[in-house]
Amino acid sequence: MAISETEAFTAVQEAVVGALGVDDDEATADATLMDDLGAESIDLLDILFRIERSTGIKIQAADLGTHIQGGISDEEFSDDNEMISERGLEQLKKVMPQIDPDQLRGSLEAEKVITLFTVQNLADMVVQRADGA
Amino acid sequence: MRLRVGVDVVGVERMARLVEENEGIADTIFTAAEQEYCRGKRRSAEHMAGRFAAKEAVLKAFGTGIGQRMRWTDVEIMRGSSGRPHVRLHGEVAAWVARHGLADLDVTLAHSAGIAVAHALAVWEGDDAGAQSWERGRALPSH
Repeated sequence: MAISETEAFTAVQEAVVGALGVDDDEATADATLMDDLGAESIDLLDILFRIERSTGIKIQAADLGTHIQGGISDEEFSDDNEMISERGLEQLKKVMPQIDPDQLRGSLEAEKVITLFTVQNLADMVVQRADGA
Repeated sequence: MRLRVGVDVVGVERMARLVEENEGIADTIFTAAEQEYCRGKRRSAEHMAGRFAAKEAVLKAFGTGIGQRMRWTDVEIMRGSSGRPHVRLHGEVAAWVARHGLADLDVTLAHSAGIAVAHALAVWEGDDAGAQSWERGRALPSH
């Protein structure tokens, strides 16, 4: 099942607008779901099921962490202080190309990574899922 | 020993709508035992909202988020013999607390005026990573 980048973005944006009650111009590509748009866990669930209803593509909330971490073990992804490692930053740059590793190096806690996830990042994930990646 | 609390609120109508509109969402959030319990109640949406809030409160007390490969079904909220809610941990969450030394866990929930609220208290052994987070008072990603 293939989906274009435009279709995926539209589906994600409509899901975000519907679930969070924000305007289209707030749910921009670079808006972070949690920090900028105020999504909480139940909102995330709502968004993912709305995407499934409109595209047929199923993403579980727990899949987000797996997608972001990209198969890297916890020990490699972050250091002993739970800060993202160099390998972790390389991985994050792949799934969240908007981040600046130099700005985050040594200061990004593993548990905060999800707060950097944007509307566009979720649309990209939908495209990957549709392609079976 | 270190203490850490978590709290969460969930709108009952929103939970009812989510379950009604999305086939399969109940399986994502609730274990089979939780679903059986809630569906046996007259106001099942209240009980589902309370359980979801309790799961979130527990994850906040742990300082972990659902984006970290954990699933809501890993935190099961059942009714204990005394009537108080009782938490059973499974999967990634059970493994995580075993690594970090959870000594005790308690949760309480209530619902009124269309809102369900839950509090969780986690007691950690020693100088646990979760307890260190609590000491610094940092915000949590699990809302």
